[in-house]
Amino acid sequence: MTTPQLVGKPNSAPPPAPEDTPGPAVAWDGSPFLTQIQVLTGRSLRALATDPSVILFSLAQPAIILFMLTQVFSGMGLPPHFPEGVRYLDFVMPAVLVDNAVHSAIQSGIGVVDDLKNGMVARLRSLPVHPSSLLIARSLANLVRAAIQIAVVIVLAVTVLGYSPKGGAGKLLASAGLTLFLAWSLGWVFIAAAAWLRRAEPMQNLAVIAIFPLMFASSAYVPVDDLPAWLGAVARANPLTYAIDTTRALALDLPGTGSLLPAVLISAGLAVVGGWLAVVGFRRPLTS
Amino acid sequence: MSGLARPIAARTTGDIMIEADGVSKVFGSVRALDSVSVSARRGTVLALLGHNGAGKTTLVNVLVAALPPSSGRAAVAGFDVVRQPWEVRKRVGLTGQFASVDAQLSGRDNLVLLARLLGADRRTARARADELLELFGLQDFAARRPGTYSGGLRRRLDLAASLVGNPDVIFLDEPTTGLDPSSRLNLWEIVEGLVSQGTTVLLTTQYLDEADRLADSITVLSAGAVIASGTAAELKATVGQRTVTVTPDAAADPAVACAAVRRAGLEPVVDRENGTIVVVIEASKDIAVVLRALDQVGVEATELTFGEPTLDDVYLTLADRSSGIAAPGAGTS
Repeated sequence: MTTPQLVGKPNSAPPPAPEDTPGPAVAWDGSPFLTQIQVLTGRSLRALATDPSVILFSLAQPAIILFMLTQVFSGMGLPPHFPEGVRYLDFVMPAVLVDNAVHSAIQSGIGVVDDLKNGMVARLRSLPVHPSSLLIARSLANLVRAAIQIAVVIVLAVTVLGYSPKGGAGKLLASAGLTLFLAWSLGWVFIAAAAWLRRAEPMQNLAVIAIFPLMFASSAYVPVDDLPAWLGAVARANPLTYAIDTTRALALDLPGTGSLLPAVLISAGLAVVGGWLAVVGFRRPLTS
Repeated sequence: MSGLARPIAARTTGDIMIEADGVSKVFGSVRALDSVSVSARRGTVLALLGHNGAGKTTLVNVLVAALPPSSGRAAVAGFDVVRQPWEVRKRVGLTGQFASVDAQLSGRDNLVLLARLLGADRRTARARADELLELFGLQDFAARRPGTYSGGLRRRLDLAASLVGNPDVIFLDEPTTGLDPSSRLNLWEIVEGLVSQGTTVLLTTQYLDEADRLADSITVLSAGAVIASGTAAELKATVGQRTVTVTPDAAADPAVACAAVRRAGLEPVVDRENGTIVVVIEASKDIAVVLRALDQVGVEATELTFGEPTLDDVYLTLADRSSGIAAPGAGTS
């Protein structure tokens, strides 16, 4: 290769502008904050589009959980406090979606750790790019991803398993919307964890430790009243229980939408605290 | 594409583009940088020479406003890295030790992404990406992901990525570590091309020959402190010289050979133990002088080796001279 001659460098005379000079002059001083968020979100989504295996695997998980749960447990008698006239599939479906939300929240954090590891963060830090735009972009991209997953899982459940929630399409949408809100706000918690931990291994450990107790010690798979007393107490304090109860009540048109307000408030609180911790943690210098 | 250029008025030659004045950086109990001062004028190359852990990368991070110094002052392109980090970031490009690109995007998309982040619209961003791909001979790999690239290609993409915004100053952190010789040469040529157009370069390296080839001035770091600085020639003069070691054929008289070399104006030394003649030389052309002198007295050189002072020589010599500075290796990894 020959010694490069940089076009557009000031020491060389600027060439005459061709007919189709692209766009206005660029100052290269950094695009507006919102544009940075948009561009970085597009970048994360693009990775999804160009690598279908990522989508496939992330879809496989909720689908497998759904099939396993409904096939394994549908033969068992329903516990005494099980809502009347509800099949186990209908009961567990909102929980599968919330489980999916938790996993997708963890993915937001993993994405940030990846960027820290592959040097993307280091590069963006040396450029006039607002640090939090990368975090916001990760969070938004995962929201889109979670929405796709939830939509696909619902379609699968309706078409293959015969899921037909009593609440109808409108309430089902509201239920899915709340689940997405949870995915987004929990995402900030895991982005904050990533910003402070900065390595993949503790993130994965945290994910495993967080998911199982959070999901099982909740109203996800069994009504809280049917859990052993001590576990029921834990489940009642578990913020996920509110989210699951609400999304379930909405989808199945059951009483219990009273937990909507606490569910929204808890999610909003997680987002605010997580977001703040994430920005503070992310701002710390990269030491290596 | 005049739109890609900065205003010419902003660039006049001779300005000091990189300046660190007594910069220290402390991590807990580790003093990663100890009152380091460097400076570089526009259109020159400053090399930071040192082993792993000498503080090279830390200094680069301070200068690109990624890491605040614990004390001291640093300015790049005339802007203070602590008070005006945003202005610094608008004017620098960084190529780290590891390719800092998104492994899930194609080479081209990586460049487009950065151009968009820096403020270009889609069309301009694509034009800039294509321009850089061509410049670095990456057109054939543009659609592929960096994961499929060879080490040399990755490094080239990485360098291209750091040039998207037409930076005034580029920081190359060990740009050729792990590269094969031809990729290394290729990268050197790219750097020389940039410098010839007025870009200021700070390069960190563990290789004296790399600093020698590219740098206008060299600063040697050890355990976070500057132990020497100057031009390559000045540094070598303090360290010891380049030598040619000649093994004369068995029939030759070493004394005759020596006399011939001396007549040619060089200072030979006979190494009786090895049966060789060691000649200190100033420039590469002196090798020819030595061979011609030997040829005139009918002595054939069966073996000829060329000795360059290495970074280790620099370290050993300088550590020897200045008491109180750690020996090479101590506390540097």
